[in-house]
Amino acid sequence: MAKKSLEVEAEVEVEDEGDAAQFKMPVDSDHKATEFWLFSFAKPHMRAFHLSWFSFFCCFVSSFAAPPLLPVIRDNLSLTTTDIGNAGIASVSGAVFARLAMGTACDLVGPRLASASLILITTPAVYCSSLIDSATGFLLVRFFTGFSLATFVSTQFWMSSMFSPPKVGLANGVAGGWGNMGGGATQLIMPLVYELIKKIGSTNFIAWRIAFFIPGVMQTCSAIAVLMFGQDMPDGNYNKLHKAGEKHKDNFSEVFKHAVTNYRGWILALTYGYCFGVELTIDNIIAQYFYDRFGVNISKAGTIAASFGLANIVSRPGGGLFSDYLSKFFGMRGRLWGLWVVQTLGGIFCVILGKTNSLAGSIVVLLLFSLFCQAACGLTFGVVPFVSRRSLGLISGMGGGGGNVGAVLTQLIFFHNSKYSTEDGIFYMGIMILVCTLPIALIHFPQWGGMLCGPKPGYTPEDYYQSEWSHHEQQKGYHTASLRFAENSVREGGRSARGSGHSKHTVPVETSPTDV
Amino acid sequence: MAGLRLSKITIALLLLLLIVCHVGPSMAVLFNQLPKTLIVTATTKSGDVLHAGEDKFTVTWALNTSLPSGADANYKTVKVLLCYAPISQHDRKWRKSNNDLKKDKTCQFTVVKQDYSATGKHEYTVARDIPTASYFVRAYALDASDTKVAFGQTTDANKTVNIFEVVGITGRTTGIFVSAIVFSAFSGLALAFFYVVENKKKK
Repeated sequence: MAKKSLEVEAEVEVEDEGDAAQFKMPVDSDHKATEFWLFSFAKPHMRAFHLSWFSFFCCFVSSFAAPPLLPVIRDNLSLTTTDIGNAGIASVSGAVFARLAMGTACDLVGPRLASASLILITTPAVYCSSLIDSATGFLLVRFFTGFSLATFVSTQFWMSSMFSPPKVGLANGVAGGWGNMGGGATQLIMPLVYELIKKIGSTNFIAWRIAFFIPGVMQTCSAIAVLMFGQDMPDGNYNKLHKAGEKHKDNFSEVFKHAVTNYRGWILALTYGYCFGVELTIDNIIAQYFYDRFGVNISKAGTIAASFGLANIVSRPGGGLFSDYLSKFFGMRGRLWGLWVVQTLGGIFCVILGKTNSLAGSIVVLLLFSLFCQAACGLTFGVVPFVSRRSLGLISGMGGGGGNVGAVLTQLIFFHNSKYSTEDGIFYMGIMILVCTLPIALIHFPQWGGMLCGPKPGYTPEDYYQSEWSHHEQQKGYHTASLRFAENSVREGGRSARGSGHSKHTVPVETSPTDV
Repeated sequence: MAGLRLSKITIALLLLLLIVCHVGPSMAVLFNQLPKTLIVTATTKSGDVLHAGEDKFTVTWALNTSLPSGADANYKTVKVLLCYAPISQHDRKWRKSNNDLKKDKTCQFTVVKQDYSATGKHEYTVARDIPTASYFVRAYALDASDTKVAFGQTTDANKTVNIFEVVGITGRTTGIFVSAIVFSAFSGLALAFFYVVENKKKK
């Protein structure tokens, strides 16, 4: 049996060398692209990038299409502050578990089918948003639409399948950031469409309903594009690859155990809740805040709110790049310090925003807040890939889900009812960010150290990643991919650890090497 | 050199701080200081239900005759508004009453604005964008600089009597209904279609 699989492997290898020429872009031995050409649609790598970020973007547009139009919707449906708060919580809570499930779905059927299916299943919720006439209806459509935010996981998974370790951090960061941007773009798009429809002659209570067809159609079209033009892996789609090769299927309960018993995954889930979670909360409340507090009209409030989400175009990728940059000089300790400093600064600007009484000042502080808050998201996913190799998918899902939990919590505590004014809510949320970012100091990698303590002498990355596999499994050679990862991550020890260091590359964010 | 750069940064930070903490002064008009000199009545009775876009009512206002003559010397315009009753303001911060009339959000819809005369009357068809809620009617007298100088309203100080209701339009037209069903069905069918194609490819 072992001899036969070796033969199959050898055959496949010989074929590969000839196949590399069929790709427009330079590729590695896995046929993953070694370069990132932002303005190209080269098949299949860059095409996958554009399909995945754009479809994720459309999901964000739909999930946050209601907030900028709330001044109209709340009167049409006679909503109270509590109703609005509940719906806001519902919009981000669906994805908490959906993100965990999406990782598994990607492993089973591939990111193309998994993401397109989720998107098409949630689109009716967007169309039916135009039919609601009660607070309950409002809550339900926001809840079901919010499930589509799980496409974050399929985006990261797809990029990790298409891009080689040196470029995968960048691909993931840009895809994640440009997708998140949808939360900002929608605050511009929806009021614009609404005003246009009103101009054509509609009453306000009809106009906002018609406006919801725009995000719905965008979502439907992007999913169909993914199905028609997308491809799971450089060599083809999953159904084709499953027939050909042999992939070792890992044990789900082992992967689960190694994810939930790693305290670092839980800390990062908590802290991601206070950068990404806060970002989702702000997407939900900020347009109404500017409309009510400073008396600007719907379009102006939308434009200001949009600037927060649109900052993602550079801030999140920037965070990822900054993390890689710090790692070059200070290794993992640099990544952790960078994350703590940037996220804390985000918290400080949030506190200031709650205390700013002027419109101009609020806009300036909001922009600074958005840059640091979103950069922290990028920095978080500069650390996540190293927490575990065996359970990478699940740790990423935990982090992603933790982000949504943070959004649920902050909205529940501060923006759910009339207990706090919105500006006080923002102030206290800022304090909570500062407190909940402190646990980053507790993260310690025995092979690289943490914020406060250095590494355990003599402990190597191999030791760390090997410890996820039992002796029995190691004898069977299941852990070889983890060992390769450990070799590549030597650079995380910082300048001093890079003895014969050859690779200056950004460290890998590969997906789980084995199926789950 | 470093000292000069440091002081430039300090100045920039101070300016930023100034912008951030700026609170503009205001000459506030306070509601509890406004004299109630107008008597305002409307043809709506307590508990009436009016439909937006269809039903109408007439509002009448007159200067309180027991006031000394000349009390209305500076009244130039009358502005009549539809105002939310307390029950419709509950748990809705965007409709909150505030003594500072600049921040007051009680009255958000204008019924009529016209030149002042000691008595006046206007027939109003409830506009199509008036939301479902409970209301009363208030009239402000404005001076030449458009500042509120007096008022009158159809209800009492506690805003409990003469409250009527408006039922707003739903906004759900047949066209929207049909479109939502059609587009949703299309999404489901598209998904089913691609799954069938995928299954065929597997074989």
